[in-house]
Amino acid sequence: MHNSLDINVHHITRVEGHGNIVVNVKNGKIEKLQWQVPEAPRFFEAMVRGHSYQDIQTIVSRICGICSITHSLAATKAVESALGIKVSEQADKLRILMHYSEQLQSHTLHVGYLAAPDFFGTPSVVPLVARAADAVKTIVKAHRIANNWSDLIAGRTTHPVTLIPGGLTRTPTEKQLRQLQQTLKDAVPDLKKIAEVVLSVAANIPKFERPTEYVSLKQTTPPTYTFYHGGVTSNDNKDAVVPIEKWHDVANEYMVEQSTAKWAKWHRDAYAVGALARFNNNAELLSPMAKDAAKMFGLQKGCCNPYMNTVAQLVECFHIVETSIDLIDQLLVRGLKTEKVISSPKAGKGAGCVEAPRGILFHEYEFDKNGKCVAADICIPTNQNHANIQKDFEKLLPEILDQSEKDIRLKLEMLVRAYDPCISCSTHFLNVQFVK
Amino acid sequence: MTNQLAKKEIVVIGLGNLLLSDEGIGIHLIRKLSEHQDKFPSVEFIDAGTGGMNVLHLIANRKKAVIIDCVKMGKKPGTIKRFEPTDVQTTKKMTHFSLHEADILRIIELSRQLGECPDKIVIFGIEPKSLELGQKPSKTLSGRIDDYSIDICKELC
Repeated sequence: MHNSLDINVHHITRVEGHGNIVVNVKNGKIEKLQWQVPEAPRFFEAMVRGHSYQDIQTIVSRICGICSITHSLAATKAVESALGIKVSEQADKLRILMHYSEQLQSHTLHVGYLAAPDFFGTPSVVPLVARAADAVKTIVKAHRIANNWSDLIAGRTTHPVTLIPGGLTRTPTEKQLRQLQQTLKDAVPDLKKIAEVVLSVAANIPKFERPTEYVSLKQTTPPTYTFYHGGVTSNDNKDAVVPIEKWHDVANEYMVEQSTAKWAKWHRDAYAVGALARFNNNAELLSPMAKDAAKMFGLQKGCCNPYMNTVAQLVECFHIVETSIDLIDQLLVRGLKTEKVISSPKAGKGAGCVEAPRGILFHEYEFDKNGKCVAADICIPTNQNHANIQKDFEKLLPEILDQSEKDIRLKLEMLVRAYDPCISCSTHFLNVQFVK
Repeated sequence: MTNQLAKKEIVVIGLGNLLLSDEGIGIHLIRKLSEHQDKFPSVEFIDAGTGGMNVLHLIANRKKAVIIDCVKMGKKPGTIKRFEPTDVQTTKKMTHFSLHEADILRIIELSRQLGECPDKIVIFGIEPKSLELGQKPSKTLSGRIDDYSIDICKELC
């Protein structure tokens, strides 16, 4: 047990905006333990004011380069709700298919490039190639499939261009959808390979539990493992589904000193969102292959080990692929039609909610009679997880204080990574010194 | 899938964040260079935004990749320097908390280890003057965009 310990995982300047872990232990007493987010403000909610309802999804897709499709979808749904714009069944299904592409993209990125190095005991994915070249190549292949899938439906991998209020600007051809479907069928053995590789190192997933509130979307009509439709539910209130218009009653955002990002709470002092939350609220609705994958890892409903969020993401990859294959069949049976999208401005206020890869996302906008935005409110999943990360830290640290400083630091970092946080896309410039 | 067109042999990738002044210089330059697409039929010009792991796919199996980015090299603001990945070592510290955190040099190394790295990679680094919030590059850099374009086009001949 450490008598004194100081850990400062400090990576950041205001401009780069990630997160700091601070641990100060003196004379065996934990004096300070904080997950700090010194992230620069992004100003998107102010930026969209004055812009047309037709442009909102394009602007807010820039909130994130990894979940840009998700932000665009949430925004588009919010705009449609505000202006009373209806969407055809075809457009709805194509949007869900688009959304799935980003889930697969993001999950494979997280599992392969962030989490797997931890499980294999390497500092990053680059040295992981030496130890598990085939596994890394398979992850890269799955990532590429997802990217091409996004290109097909969304127009490009990052920052979609086919989404507009009322529908889509482009409909894929039946031939393109058949090819996508075949690609997804061919990808199933690759997913199984990835799962087997992760299973081979699953003993390295830390064993830690903390009873947690899990918040996610829930769709009852029809019952669906949903990323797109439905209302908000929690394992603390299983039978109740809150309409998304009342999302403020769920998130209850508030400011804290240690973080420029707000915290959230609902029935307890914190809650978790993301794949594990979706699993805990909806696991019985997973596809057959996904259920098999969950069984493989011993992942069961009620799991409250945050490190298992990565496994839940892997389980969801199977669900996403299997469900998309079926969704394409539904689209092909109906036949695809080119649809003209017409919308007109009017005053209104509306909310849109979808599950980002890392958890439930809320967008809300208000428009004047000319369709110009007058107010915006966005609550992202990573923000909703910050308080829960802090609470996890507070339970975890006393349990591991007898381990080496290196192991304590690693476990805290792994915990943050398990949440797959999407912390600001701000700077990324190279920093080099010349050796030649 | 039919949206996978055959990749061109040479790719020029502009990287940057347009909301942080000189951080977006790669994107401003790629827009400028794209105006000359007809002069370079075997070159694909790509605005890759803030990059990330997607750069791995953009450079995969090309003959040559040219990357344009804002680079802190300790030189006079506005300096453009052509270098290859082996000429430098990264001093960027990573915590690997978020997928937004990416280091192009590490991505190039990953590409090399996966056996799909271009035969030649050239980086044009431009030393920033300002990384403050702003949608335009500083005057120091914006006044030299034509000169930067000429330097980069020489690489494509």
